[in-house]
Amino acid sequence: MIKSEVLIIDDEIEFASTLCQRLKLRGVAAVDVHSGTEGIASLTKMNLGIVLLDLKMPDMNGLDVLKKIIEYDPSIEVIMLTGHGSSDSGVEAKEKGAFDYVMKPLDITELMDIIESADNKRCKEQVSYGCKNGK
Amino acid sequence: MRTQPHWLERLLPTPSEEYGGGGITRGYKRFSKGLSLILLTLVLAPLTLISVLSHYQYKQLLQDEEMAQLVLNLEEAQNTIEAFVSELQSVLKFVARDDRYEELLSPKKLETLFIRLQDEYPGFTDIEVIDSKGTQKAYYGPYTLKDRSYTDQTWYKEVLLHGTHISDISTGFRNSPHFVIAVSSKHPRQQGHWVLRLSFEAKILQDLNDTIRTSYADDMFLVDSERIIQTQPKKFGQIGEKCILYDTKDQIKRHIDGPLKKQNDISKRAGDMLIVQKTFNGQKINHATVALLNTPWELVLIKEQYLHAPPWRQFKIKLTAIFFFCVIVAVFLIFEISTAITNHLREVDQKRQQLYIEAEQRDKLASIGRLAAGVAHEINNPLSIINQKTGLVQDFMEMMDDFEYKEMMREAHESIQKSVDRCKTITHRLLGFARVTDAQTEEFDINTTIREVIDFLAREAMYNQIHIDFELDPNVSKIISDRGPLQQIFLNITNNAIDAIGQHGNITLSSRQLDQDTIQVNISDDGPGIPEDVLERIFEPFFTTKETGKGTGLGLSISYGLIRKLGGDIKVKTEAGVGTTFEITLPVKQSK
Repeated sequence: MIKSEVLIIDDEIEFASTLCQRLKLRGVAAVDVHSGTEGIASLTKMNLGIVLLDLKMPDMNGLDVLKKIIEYDPSIEVIMLTGHGSSDSGVEAKEKGAFDYVMKPLDITELMDIIESADNKRCKEQVSYGCKNGK
Repeated sequence: MRTQPHWLERLLPTPSEEYGGGGITRGYKRFSKGLSLILLTLVLAPLTLISVLSHYQYKQLLQDEEMAQLVLNLEEAQNTIEAFVSELQSVLKFVARDDRYEELLSPKKLETLFIRLQDEYPGFTDIEVIDSKGTQKAYYGPYTLKDRSYTDQTWYKEVLLHGTHISDISTGFRNSPHFVIAVSSKHPRQQGHWVLRLSFEAKILQDLNDTIRTSYADDMFLVDSERIIQTQPKKFGQIGEKCILYDTKDQIKRHIDGPLKKQNDISKRAGDMLIVQKTFNGQKINHATVALLNTPWELVLIKEQYLHAPPWRQFKIKLTAIFFFCVIVAVFLIFEISTAITNHLREVDQKRQQLYIEAEQRDKLASIGRLAAGVAHEINNPLSIINQKTGLVQDFMEMMDDFEYKEMMREAHESIQKSVDRCKTITHRLLGFARVTDAQTEEFDINTTIREVIDFLAREAMYNQIHIDFELDPNVSKIISDRGPLQQIFLNITNNAIDAIGQHGNITLSSRQLDQDTIQVNISDDGPGIPEDVLERIFEPFFTTKETGKGTGLGLSISYGLIRKLGGDIKVKTEAGVGTTFEITLPVKQSK
């Protein structure tokens, strides 16, 4: 059971909304937005735990959004969605603080495993240090 | 801004786009010929000039030397004969003192004098004493000449006038060639002069002439004022005849005026001499004459011109032989040098051209990579949507109860999912290919790279019924190298293997760890093999056995260059009818 709320940030609306529906069907509290700016704005409105973040978006680079998220709340776990066919950009994102990366087109089972891992990690950290920023 | 090419630059061929065609070959041939021509001109022009100048300078020197020698010999002979004649005159003048007239009228005294003089001068034949009226008063000699009157004789008048007289050589009534020297002296008792007259055999002059004729002169003799020969020449006539040399019309005088002026510095009497170049019986000779002082004779000296003599001809033959030897050596060396320079230039140009084409190919590859990446990325996004949508449909189906056609729908869904996965593989491969077109050293698995590259050729191989096998050792070390060039190398060699096989065959790619620092990748085919003459040239740029337009002849050449750059090596093993194996060794860590 995934406890954290999940935000999907991807400029491909169809992809984001479908993925959101599928996560919801699996009992995950998921919301989708379709730009980096919207994603950052959503951080304050929601009690987010996990972000699925596309690496390339028209308004903002995924890595820049990642930086903003970590600046806002380091406890949020970010899973990068990359369509580049290589692990390089995912590895780079991990080095910059992302929890993990998944290559598009993604396998839902694989994604669920990663989300679960991120959720577990987050829960463990919350038990250890308590909720940050009063969340 | 391109400046006007230097005239020498026009000889240089410009590397052509159609490299390896006839144009560039002609260009280098033109360059080689031009270079040879310039070098030949630079070497042969001064050589010819020096040879010609040396020839004429030496010729001039020899002519001057010859002329000087001629003048000195002539003068020496002239002085000797003049001294001899002068001595005879002095003796006679001494004997014919005024007070001795009466004494010499005595036959006994005259005989004594005759014998004494003959002891001294063996050619002395007779002696006469003539009174002031021209009548012979005493005579001693082998002839009967007593009481002869010489009053009307020209010589007698002349001796009275000048005090001395030397006659031409004549036979006269003595019937033997002789000449006469007469001196006059004041008569002790009568008015006028008495005369002492001595006759000498012509032989005395001939002997003197033969003695002083040096080896330098080809001939020497005396002529009188009428050019009548007085002493016997070797080959230019007989005594008493007119000298034939004076009749020859082929005379060149002007060439020796200059040298003669120079000889005035050597000999004070050179101005009295006349030297004429003549052709006599086809022989070029110098004909030198000089008048003998106080005699009626001219001394003639003949010398064959040195420049027409065998030694000079031999010298000219030697000079010509040396000149042509130098020319042949120069032509040979220049040909060798220009061939070496042209070959070197061709190699440099080929390397430059190869680098240019290589860079161009890399650039094209990078462009293709970027294009592929763009296409793959664009396809990847809708593919992700399809993937998610089919996933959602599957989610719904799993939540729904069984219904008619559910199984058929599930099969259809699986089919869509498989196609999505297939497309995913393609887009990931394209994106992977694009990513490595930028040169950079990184750590990667050589086996994966081999498989990725071969994926590109799999379809072509399949259409040609060529089976590609992998014998890749999973334990080979990851290598740190530039992946782009390696992809290009494997692509080129495998592509060549497909071309070599044509249809129906096998290609095997294998990898193994040679030692801790080296990995070997073998690409083998069971094609027809490479003929020996082709094998020697397969790594040469622009060498191809493919049909025109199908191969650039650069694939293996570039591959070879890239392998060397990566610090590796490549070897070929081939056997006719069995196949070919390219053995590529690569360092695990590429040296910088």
